[in-house]
Formats: sequence, C-alpha cells, structure tokens
Amino acid sequence: MKHFLPLLTKELRALFYSPIAYIIIAVFLVLMGYSFTLTLFLNKFATLIHIFFQSAGLLFLLIPIITMRLFAEERKAGTLELLLTAPVRESQVVLAKYVASLAVVLTMIALTGVYAAVLGMFGAPDWGPIYSGYVGLVLLASTLVALGLAISALTSNQVIAAIVAIGISFLLWTIDSLAAMMPEGLERVLISLSLLAHFTPFATGALYTSDLGFFVSSTLLALFLAMRALARR
Amino acid sequence: MTPVIVAESLTKYYGARLAVDGVSFDVRPNEVMGLLGPNGSGKSTILRILTGYLRPTSGTVRVAGYDVVTHGLQARSHLGYVPEDVPLYSAMRVIEFLEFMGRVRGLDRTGLRAAIDEVIERLSLGSVRGLLISKLSRGFRQRAAIAQALLGRPKLLVLDEPTNGLDPRQIIEVRELIRTLSRDLSIIVTSHILAEIERVAHRVAILLEGKLLVVHTLGAQGAGTRVRVRLHGADETTLRSFLASKPGITIVEAVPSLGVYMLESAGGTVGAIRTLVEGGFAIEEVGASGSGLEEMFLRLTEGVRQ
Repeated sequence: MKHFLPLLTKELRALFYSPIAYIIIAVFLVLMGYSFTLTLFLNKFATLIHIFFQSAGLLFLLIPIITMRLFAEERKAGTLELLLTAPVRESQVVLAKYVASLAVVLTMIALTGVYAAVLGMFGAPDWGPIYSGYVGLVLLASTLVALGLAISALTSNQVIAAIVAIGISFLLWTIDSLAAMMPEGLERVLISLSLLAHFTPFATGALYTSDLGFFVSSTLLALFLAMRALARR
Repeated sequence: MTPVIVAESLTKYYGARLAVDGVSFDVRPNEVMGLLGPNGSGKSTILRILTGYLRPTSGTVRVAGYDVVTHGLQARSHLGYVPEDVPLYSAMRVIEFLEFMGRVRGLDRTGLRAAIDEVIERLSLGSVRGLLISKLSRGFRQRAAIAQALLGRPKLLVLDEPTNGLDPRQIIEVRELIRTLSRDLSIIVTSHILAEIERVAHRVAILLEGKLLVVHTLGAQGAGTRVRVRLHGADETTLRSFLASKPGITIVEAVPSLGVYMLESAGGTVGAIRTLVEGGFAIEEVGASGSGLEEMFLRLTEGVRQ
C-alpha cells in the first residue's frame, strides 16, 4: 500500500491533468445525452436499456484511447525503466494504472446517472434493470480496461495499442455470431467467450453469477497477462 | 570489505544474439567502477541487469547481498539508477517528480521532505524546483535524474553515459559530482569515451562485443609515472643503453620511427626530463600518459578484433 498510493496518485494526475480524460468524458456524455433524449421523446418509455447497449458500444471505442498510453507511452519515453528499477512490484504498477483508468470510466458512467434521475423524476421506471444495467456496464468497463492495459504493455506504439485493443474487444463482443457455424463443442466455447452474451442479461435486468464470474475472471486474466508482459524483459 | 555488487557469469541473449557473454566483476564500497567499451559492447545491458530491469539469461548479480532476480525489491531499494537518455516524467514539476520517486522508494512524509531538501541542495536544483521537467535544460534534467537516484541514500549509484549531450562545463560538473558522491556510496558509470572514465573511475572494466576483457585498476601499474616523450633525432639503441644505466626510468613502449617513447619514471615527469636532458637528448614534446588505459584499451580491443 505504501508504494501503491503514490503510483495511483501519479496515474490519476496523469489522466486528470491532461485534457484527454475530459474530452473523452465530454464526447461520451454528449453522444449519450443525444441518444437518451431522442429515444425518450420518440418512445416515451422510462427505460435505459438502449442507453446501456449504446454505452457499451462507445466504451469499446473510448476505453482503448484511455488505456493505449498507459504502458506504451512509458515504454517509449523510457520512464518504464525508471519505474521498474525502483523498489516497486510489477503488480503494483499494473494495478495502479488499472484503478486510475477505471476511475475515469466510472466517472463517465456515473455521470449518466442523471438520465436515471430524470426518468425517476418524470416517470415510473422499473429500477431493477437500471441497477443491473449499471452493474453490467461497470463489469464490462473493468474487463475492457484490463484488456487495453495488457495490450499496451506489449508495445511502445500507442496507436497500435489502441487499434489492437479495439479489434480484440469487438471480436470478443460479437464472437457468438460465429458460434452457429461451428461444431457443437466449439460453439459453446465461443458463446461463453462473448462479451455481448454475458452483458445482455445485465442490461435487460437479469443477474447471473456466471456472467459476474466471467467479467471478474476475464479482468483478472487480463491483469495477469499485463503483469507477465511487463515481467518478460 | 564486502562488495556492494557481485556479478557472476552474466549472460544475456536477445533472441539469438549474444549481448553479454559470461561477465563477472565486483564493486567495492566507495569505489567508482567504470564500464568502458564501444557502442554495442553490452554496457547498458549489463546495467539493466544490475538494476533488475532485464533478467539475465544466466548468471547472478547480488546488490548489497540481495539477488536482483530472486530478491529484486530488496536489491533495488539499495540502488539508484539514471538510464542513458535520462527519461523523466516531463509533465511533472521537479519537486513533484522528486516527491513521487521518494515515495516510491518508500520514504515517509518526514523522511521525504528532508531527503528532497538534501538532494536539491546537493544538485543545486533550488532554482528549478517549481519548473516543469519539460522546460529544463539537458544539464538540469541530468541533475534531476541523479537527484531522484540519490533519494533514500542508496548504497550504489548506477549512471549510464551520464555526460552524453552535456556541454563541457556540465561535463566537468558531473565529473566533480561523481567524485564527491563516491565518498558516500559506490558508483558504476559507463562511457564510450575513454578520457571520461579515466578521470573519475578507480577501476575500469573494458568490454567488447559482450565480453569482459579485463578489469583494470587505474594508476596501479608499475611504480612510477608514465611519461610520453617525442625526441628529435634520437637513436633507439643509444637511448636504451643510456637509460639502462639510469635507475628508476625504463622504456615501456617505443615507436622509434616517430621518435615517440613511453617511459615509466620513478622521479615523475620532471625526473624523466632531467635524465633525458642530461643524456643530451633533444625533447620535442612531453605528455603525461595518465593511466595507460588508452594503450591497454587499444591493445586489448585490437587483439580481440584480430
């Protein structure tokens, strides 16, 4: 903890002192606000299901932009050498970057809470799917941040880190579409890897521990891979 | 005295390329050890292994008694490192950078304040403490990097090409700093510039193509001072027979075609000149040869390349 806090503070400062975090949050909120308002006026249903799916779609694009610089920038600037030759553990460095990046994404998601508040003030929404939808978004964000972090740890090029992270995230989102064409054994594996298949129940108000377990374990696996990528020197 | 660093049979492969080949050496307390070699000779790789940034393919390094691979945290807490291109967090102010590095090194609030004040004083960083690192000159960047390495009073300071890109005045300052710091800690410094190493190091490890050719103690060969002289119209046989009768002065190396002779003189440079004048030799040029490192380096590297 003694070493973790300064590392976390450094990462938070790097993210919140630069305009990147604010621009990403602003773009996300403008697009989501537009979508929320438009859908609400057209449908007149007090629901956030479409917002959860659209948010997920935007997270695929925006999270890699947040995570691309985490290790790639330090590797290119040489500061990674300074950091990893200090008496800190690789796991502390990885966790600090993960927590700081997730904090930006959680801030972004938390600000959309205003939509739920609007629905509550002017309508009678079913709160169950709203709560579970937010839990799903947080879990999805956690996995995507960890994945972006692991990819950033493999390269010194930020653009490559972002593009590969977006590619892999989309592949994992839609991989269940391939399942129908595969033999039975492989079909199950592909469906079980699908981010969409595990996110949909949360967005529609169904909470399963298997989905929770999937996001937690995929986050841990990606963080582990990030640590291994750092250790392989 | 227990060595601060003991490196044994260090080997490092980058893929199929052998970068460091079975290198062993040690560094004693308060000693400045120079690693000298041309670019690509494995100096930086060795430093990266010593500091725990790279894992050796085989071999071991112990810093203050701790293995850098199996007890990395403890080993790293005893060393401060300034990598070659002086990487720093450009978006931080000098004081923020030092606070961050101090906290990462495990200093508590009270200790941190005192440690930062000490390194700022020592490295004369007071005038730039509030400046963004991106606004610093190369000289101040180098000082800030050394300052962070000294936080927590490590037993070992590792400097990779510390005079690269500095102007002559800054080079002299870094040289003086290394000398001063070696009163309190051990230092490993690399350079591909022989004169730089010669001026600061107590011992020099000469590297070529990943191999350690020799560890040379500066100023310890022979009993006297080495003097390089160029004589006008001198006959080598006459000079040799004359010097044979003079105790305390011998020819170490000779290039008779140029009239250049390397002498070892117990009476120093003055003694050598007196003897030569006494023998009627016309001296065209006299130079102190220093440590003999240049000759040794050329001889060794030539031997390997052939």
